Amino acid sequence: MTPTALRRPRTKREATAALGPYGRLGKAIGELDDRLGIAKGGRTFLDKIFPDHWSFMLGEIALYSFVILMVTGVYLTLYYVPSTAEVIYHGVYAPLRGQRVTEAYATTVNISFAVRGGLLMRQMHHWSADVFLGAIVIHMARIFFTGAFRKPRELNWTIGLTLLLLSLANGFIGYSLPDDLISGTGIRILYSIILSIPLLGSYLAFFIFGGPYPGNEIIPRLFIIHVLVLPAILAALIGGHLFLLVRQKHTQFPGKGKTEHNVVGSPMFPTFIAKTTGFFFMVTSVTALLGGLAQINPIWQFGQYRPAKISYAVQPDWYMGWLDGVLRIMPSWEFTGFGHTIPFEVFLPAVVFPGIIFTLCFGWPAIERLFTKDNEIHHLLDRPRDRPKRTAAGAAVAALLFTTFGASATDVLANFFHVSLNAVLWSFRVLVIVVPILVGVITWKICLELQHGGPDLGKRKRAMVVTRTAAGEYRAVPSEIRPGDEHRELEPVPVPALIDLDDGSLEVTAGNTRPDAEGVRRVIR
Amino acid sequence: MTRARQLRALLPAALLVAVGIGGLLSLASDAAAASSSGLSSLNGAGTEGTAHSPVAPVQPPNTGTSNSSVKVYKHGRLVAYGNQAIRYSYPPTSYVPAGQALYEEFCSSCHGTEAAGSTRAPNLVGLGPATIDFWVTTGRMPAENQNAVEAPRKPAKLSDLQALEIAAFVNSLDPSEPAIPTVNTKGADLAVGAELFALNCAACHTITGAGDELAYSTSAPSLRAATPTQAAEAIRTGPANMPRFTGNLTDAQVRDVVAYVTEEIQHQSNPGGLALGGVGPVAEGFVALLFGVGGLALVGFWIGDRS
Amino acid sequence: MSDETHSARSPLPVASLDDPQLQIAARFPRRTENIIALNFLLGLLCVGAFGAAFWQNWAPWILGLTFGAGTFFLGFGLIAWGKYLMPQGPFVEERHVLASTEAERDSMAAAVLQRGTVVVRRRKLLGGLLAGGLGIFGIVAAFPLIRSLGPLPKTTLTKTNWRRGSLVVDANGRPVRRDELQPGGLLTVFPAGYETNEETQAVDQTVLIRAQTGDLVTEPGRGSWAPDGYVAYSKVCTHLGCPVGLYEEQLKLLVCPCHQSIFNILDGAVPKFGPAPRPLPQLPLYFDDSGYLRAQRGYDQPIGPGFWERS
Repeated sequence: MTPTALRRPRTKREATAALGPYGRLGKAIGELDDRLGIAKGGRTFLDKIFPDHWSFMLGEIALYSFVILMVTGVYLTLYYVPSTAEVIYHGVYAPLRGQRVTEAYATTVNISFAVRGGLLMRQMHHWSADVFLGAIVIHMARIFFTGAFRKPRELNWTIGLTLLLLSLANGFIGYSLPDDLISGTGIRILYSIILSIPLLGSYLAFFIFGGPYPGNEIIPRLFIIHVLVLPAILAALIGGHLFLLVRQKHTQFPGKGKTEHNVVGSPMFPTFIAKTTGFFFMVTSVTALLGGLAQINPIWQFGQYRPAKISYAVQPDWYMGWLDGVLRIMPSWEFTGFGHTIPFEVFLPAVVFPGIIFTLCFGWPAIERLFTKDNEIHHLLDRPRDRPKRTAAGAAVAALLFTTFGASATDVLANFFHVSLNAVLWSFRVLVIVVPILVGVITWKICLELQHGGPDLGKRKRAMVVTRTAAGEYRAVPSEIRPGDEHRELEPVPVPALIDLDDGSLEVTAGNTRPDAEGVRRVIR
Repeated sequence: MTRARQLRALLPAALLVAVGIGGLLSLASDAAAASSSGLSSLNGAGTEGTAHSPVAPVQPPNTGTSNSSVKVYKHGRLVAYGNQAIRYSYPPTSYVPAGQALYEEFCSSCHGTEAAGSTRAPNLVGLGPATIDFWVTTGRMPAENQNAVEAPRKPAKLSDLQALEIAAFVNSLDPSEPAIPTVNTKGADLAVGAELFALNCAACHTITGAGDELAYSTSAPSLRAATPTQAAEAIRTGPANMPRFTGNLTDAQVRDVVAYVTEEIQHQSNPGGLALGGVGPVAEGFVALLFGVGGLALVGFWIGDRS
Repeated sequence: MSDETHSARSPLPVASLDDPQLQIAARFPRRTENIIALNFLLGLLCVGAFGAAFWQNWAPWILGLTFGAGTFFLGFGLIAWGKYLMPQGPFVEERHVLASTEAERDSMAAAVLQRGTVVVRRRKLLGGLLAGGLGIFGIVAAFPLIRSLGPLPKTTLTKTNWRRGSLVVDANGRPVRRDELQPGGLLTVFPAGYETNEETQAVDQTVLIRAQTGDLVTEPGRGSWAPDGYVAYSKVCTHLGCPVGLYEEQLKLLVCPCHQSIFNILDGAVPKFGPAPRPLPQLPLYFDDSGYLRAQRGYDQPIGPGFWERS
């Protein structure tokens, strides 16, 4: 503490000088640091390097969608009543007026028609959920195909998969809450799937649903799971996911100056924070545009769920489509004997199949290690082509899921291409086996072909300029580096601790008119 | 504690018990009222096989002329029947000659000169003018491809008047019901229509009326283009693979369904924006992945480096 | 985390504004700045417009468009600012070995093992009792919790409300007379008295079809089940329980709208195609002396999808 600080400042200039070289900000940081000790870690955090490759933005789509889901979701809970108590609808939508509906359905219709901004919020929530799961899946694909799940990141891979699993569940549950005809049919199917589990099925179903379906217990239960239990777990896991990311630091693609021992990219502040905040706005923007301009799940058209009512062409949301697809193409292999029934035609596709897929995913780091015997720590990513077996396996599973997803739209496809529904179904029964094998083999071959890449690994390709000399000779020369890529050619440097700002802007605020011994004004950038 | 104080302490409990008993009593009386009011008493375990005649149904069945409040005769011939909801009218007999000529030109090669059908096409006699009118005004007949499993809706080849003329001719061979309905949707109850639509129609036509492909190369057409008369004709006659709804729907109920189709389904306000074809989560998922995730991945592609 | 990374980076380098890594990507910074400013301005205008639209309670598409455009412009501007007007690096950060030293690992292992030995191995009884107590507590606490979640299934899944002589009624409680349906007609029916209860509807729902005018024999032994062509099947699909409400009249097929299982109504609804494993149970019918349709008895088997206890 300098003596100047002890006496009362007489002029404005003196007052400013008393605050120290970094002004009010410096003072505030000092006060906070006295109490919380934030300065050292805070500075490290501001210097944290984020890789610049675009594929690292995919996970952020999921993160920001989650934020949007939370905000819009809170808005919806203000007006939604999770009850199957019957009321007579008296709202603005004429075709429902006078109908007996449940409170859950009536309040959801009211959110759509009577609550200010309610329909936008509802649709943003639903679109956002669809985008959220899509982003998780492509983020996961990136992690898988580049080998980012390898040691030391197996735990984060596991957390990510758990996030996917719980998000799938929460998406389905949220879809079910309005108690409309389509979602009610979905719950009926879920109930039957639980019933199909050997030995425990009927007890599980009755405990989960509080009795047979339809009943009065299930909507309130699904509600509390959807708005409290799962979001809390999701938020905690996302926190853990990000904590591990910071702790273990990012992976990166190989390239100029990039090694197993460093991370190259942009610092948290200011570059990354600007880009990522902008990206958050973009995610919000896309969600809002979809929510305002494209109608999703118009439950007022569907009407209240009644067990005897049904609509053709009912599908679940896209992320459950793969399960619906397998259910459709599964042959009817029910086992009956010894006084018991095992509905394999339901149990296999709806319980065992997803079980296998998720077990494969959860176990993949271990499975791969079994084959490669690779127990090293990896921070540099693989190019998918350099790991043809992994890439082929991943592509085959993706193809399998994609085909089953297509099978969930057999009726829509048949209608669109004007072919018989039966032909479409049979095609899918064949395709679901053939396509993954084909895709796997072809991917493997392509990887082998591409493997012998040039030395310019990690550099953006440049165009070749072909010129003809006066003598008639052709010459190919690489074109100039693109302006935006110039910095890619530079050697990466650590984030500077201090920057010499010689524009004189600090003279007033900092109060130290003379540079220090090294001739540098110490300023936080 | 004195006796009085004990009693006072018991009072709230006694009140509760009294209220409880009252509630039970009122429930019981409700149940009694319900069981004495009609149908539920018929279902007692011991009533099967007994010769008791059932009490009067809540609503009388309603088939054709049998419960028409209005019947119009001309020269001893029934020309129209119906009620406030739907008026069924026969095409005038003066149309028969023109209809015969049209029939011979467009229909007889498949359905036969007597309209009794052939190996290539079904019988038309005794189906009522509504059947003929529906097939011709929706453009399904004359068929384009006589070997197809279905004759899809297409722009009508013959005019509405010509359809009436053919209907008049075929009806003259064996006058029958249903005649051509004119639906008065004014007093329609859209809520009833919506309920009935979900119970009876949505299983094939989908809940948004978009239509879809069904089993074995058959399909349920979109309802977007149906006129009130065509919708009522389809309900009453059950064209092709559609079931026919006769006694199981009253004229008033048919009117409600028709009103729901022509006023609500055909004029969905879609307050949420583009309807995306009304085919549900498949289209929605496509949009979410393409525009949502795809668009945002593009933004990410712009933000990040591509090396 | 912060300690090790920070201490390892000293001595701190000092940068000059002329350093190539501190240069921005934009070639015309002034123009870029103007474009970004324009974006922010448009963004603010749109967000303001959103506020006005929300205040006025305008249509959702206006709300979505203004809000979406506003956030788009703000986001676009911010990203462009970061991408074109901020130092482009590349910057590098050293990665530090996460693993501790051998000595530190040993120290932790020793702490757990030795202290654990002191506490547990010398007090085996206590440890065992505590573990057992916790286990029993867990089971005891879990059992009532799980058990209170719902009733036991008992016979719920195998029973419907169709009985001998149940009067067949539609959703409005109207009984079915002999001439109610013409051939090709279809009706969803319930046992009288249960037609409005949603919970019983789910199991009782039955699809009544008049297939023809004469009696219909769908399978040997079912000679009297379909009087006058009136045939009734459970409307609950044997696959996953969806209502089998899709009837194709000429093909005489019932199709499940959910997963396209196909049943032929003329031969006992044996599944012809799709994932359904069993025929839809058929309800035997008769006309009583007053000409109203009744059930001869209930279904001869549990309706709907399969489950373990179903024999």
